[in-house]
This record gives sequence, C-alpha cells and structure tokens, in this order.
Amino acid sequence: MHIVDGALAAPVVIGGAVLAAGGLARGLRDLTLEKIPAAGMLSASFFVASLIHVPIGPSSVHLILNGLAGLVLGWAAFPALFVGLLLQAVFFGFGGLTVLGVNTLDIALPAVIVHYICRHGIATGSPRIAAIWGGIGGALAIALTAACVALALALSGAAFIPAAKLVLLAHVPVMAIEGLLSAAAVYLAIQVKPDLFLSLQGPVR
Amino acid sequence: MIRPVFLTLALVLAPLPALAHKVIAAVYADGALIEGEVGFSNGDMAADATVAVSDPEGNPLGETATDADGMFTFRPSVAVAHVFHADLGAGHVAEVTMSAEDVAAILDSPAARAAAEAAADTGGIPGAGQAEAASDGGNPSTFPLDAASGTAAVGSSAVPLTAAPGLSDADKAAVAKIVRDEMRPLRREIAAYREKNDLQSILGGIGYIVGIFGLGFYVAARRRMKG
Repeated sequence: MHIVDGALAAPVVIGGAVLAAGGLARGLRDLTLEKIPAAGMLSASFFVASLIHVPIGPSSVHLILNGLAGLVLGWAAFPALFVGLLLQAVFFGFGGLTVLGVNTLDIALPAVIVHYICRHGIATGSPRIAAIWGGIGGALAIALTAACVALALALSGAAFIPAAKLVLLAHVPVMAIEGLLSAAAVYLAIQVKPDLFLSLQGPVR
Repeated sequence: MIRPVFLTLALVLAPLPALAHKVIAAVYADGALIEGEVGFSNGDMAADATVAVSDPEGNPLGETATDADGMFTFRPSVAVAHVFHADLGAGHVAEVTMSAEDVAAILDSPAARAAAEAAADTGGIPGAGQAEAASDGGNPSTFPLDAASGTAAVGSSAVPLTAAPGLSDADKAAVAKIVRDEMRPLRREIAAYREKNDLQSILGGIGYIVGIFGLGFYVAARRRMKG
C-alpha cells in the first residue's frame, strides 16, 4: 500500500506533497478541540492496523481504516492519518519521507471524499441504515485509495500500469473486511453515542 | 456486534505471518564479481527479478537477473560506482549502490586478474580451471586449500606451491569465498531482525501519537481559554 522512495517520478512526488500540504492546512483548521481525542484514537488505530499485513499474491495488504477516520473526522482525517504515516515511515521505514506527501494524499483524500458522500446517510438514518452507509464508506475509501495508488504509479510511467492493476485487484478482500468493520463500528457508535457523528461535524449542510 | 467481528478478524488473520513489505537489497564483492541480493524484509527473496545496472549518472552498464533465492551476480568492467536497481512491482523498488573504490578493489583483486588471464589465454586449461574455482566458487573440494599442508591435488601442477608458509592468492580467494558463504545466512538474519516490528516500537508509536494529540489538545485549549 505504501509507495516506497524512488518508485515515483519527481513531478508526482512534488505534486503529491503540495496537495497533501493543502489538505493538512485545511484539516488542521477543521481540527477543533472536540475532535482532537477522536483524531488521536483514529490515528493510533490506523497506525496499528497498517502494521498487520496479509499476504496476497506477490504483494501484501493491510487494513487502513481510513474510511472510518473520514466518516468521523472529515477534513481532520488529513492530520490524523498524516501523523500515523509519518511515524510508520520513521519507525519502520514503511513508505519513506520523500513520498510521505503522496502517501498522505492517497489515504486521506478518499477519507474526505467518503465523508461527504456518506455523512447524510449516517447522520439522518436509523442505526441500521447508518451501518449500511458506514460499510459503503469503509469499502469505498479502500477502493479510492487503491485507485489513487494506481494513478500515482501510472503517472510515473507506463511500465507501472500492470502493477497498478495488481494493486486494485489485491485490495478487493480488504474492501470487504473494511466495509464490515466500518459498518460494525458505525452501528456500535450510533447505539452507544448517537451524537458522535453529529456533534463532531456540526449541523449537516 | 463489534466483538464477534474483531474475534473473527483475529481468527482469520492469526495463522498468517505478519508481512512487512519493505524492500531490502545488498551488494558485496565476490572475487571478480559483484554479488548481491534483493528481497523483502520478512525474508522472502525476490526471485527472477531483473536488475538494471548503471553508473551514478544513469548510463546503463548492463543488466542481470536474480535467481530463485534472490541472488544476482554482476561482473564489473569499469571502476565507477555501480547502481543496482530492481523493480519488484506494485511500488516496490530496490536500489543499492557500490562505491567506485569498492568496484576498483574488485577489478584489482587477484581473482579478477586470474579471470582476465584465463579469458585471454583460452588454451591454458589448468589456469582457467583455477581461475574459475577462485572467482566463481565451483566445487569447494577442488580448491587447492590443502596445498599449504603438502597434499597438493594430483595433476594440478599449475597450483603455486610457493605458498608453504603463507597462503597464495588463490587460497586467500577460496577462504574469502568460504567465509562469505558462511556469513550469508547470518547477514540475512540480521537484516530480517533489523526490520522486525517489535512490540516496543509499536507501543512507542502509539505513545508518540498520544503525545502529539495531547500537545494539540493543550494548544487548542489554551487558545480557547484566551478567546
């Protein structure tokens, strides 16, 4: 999932870094006092979930949980996921510092997109409907992330296109798992603390 | 609701080995050759991967491929830094450089000279055989290792017996080869160990996250109290 140093062309790396910085700035403005504990929790879950690798074919995949982060945090998912990625790069050498921008964008942008697509369904529906939307969000975030990784690889050279297809294919099982997990988490959150998705996001616009 | 899901997840994931997909690569001198290995940090080696060799400016010097164990060899011909680049797919790229001094040392090594002589003198069968053994390994039993102890192999009249007190260049090359072979699993184990995600690092990372967000919380709270 994490793209390593040296795999991407320089324009892609620089473009990714600039866009990620923009997303971070927007996210930090969105990171209110009330959201900080949730952001920390989701950042830590992302950090740990990404360390459990499941071998599939020649590659290996891991849970990302960016859909859940996006559903709860919105734009604030950018700083939360960035911190997790930064620590993974520093501690374990996953990804790398030069491609940190691209990796942040690949993972946090789908989270924000999912937030805008699914927040209505979660905020207005019954627990069951909210869980369904949560599942859709969790799976969609992975699909979008895989598409972003594939795009970043494809932009760096035609030789990467078969590899990019492989990335998409490898993430189908992760999509299923993350969808189930997000649905369960949203269902639980709605039952236990119904205002989680409302209070953190302000009124639905 | 969530507990069965986690339980199922844990059961599904438990039998599978935790895989880290960091790429590791290393090169070292092997007689007249540069030997290297490419693999993943979990110990899986990259089989049948193409390794492109170039100088630091990106001019291609040649190409080689890994075998089933992720090992590759390359015979250098010019004393410049060699950059080895392997694309393992899905964003996994290995790149490792051997410095110009190391390459020059290989080109200057007795094994390389012997190999060059053997290549030049195709008629010299014993010489060629010896160079082959010294540079490419071959069967260890054919090494003239015991030449010093006086039991020189029959028929290998080309073996220099002048090395009674010390070791001949060929012997040194043979010993170096054996040491390298013995070191290889150790080196691999150390590389794998260095890449291990132990619990301490994971807990440390979580601690960092708590700290960073705590700090953010503090700053945000200060700002709110002032306002």
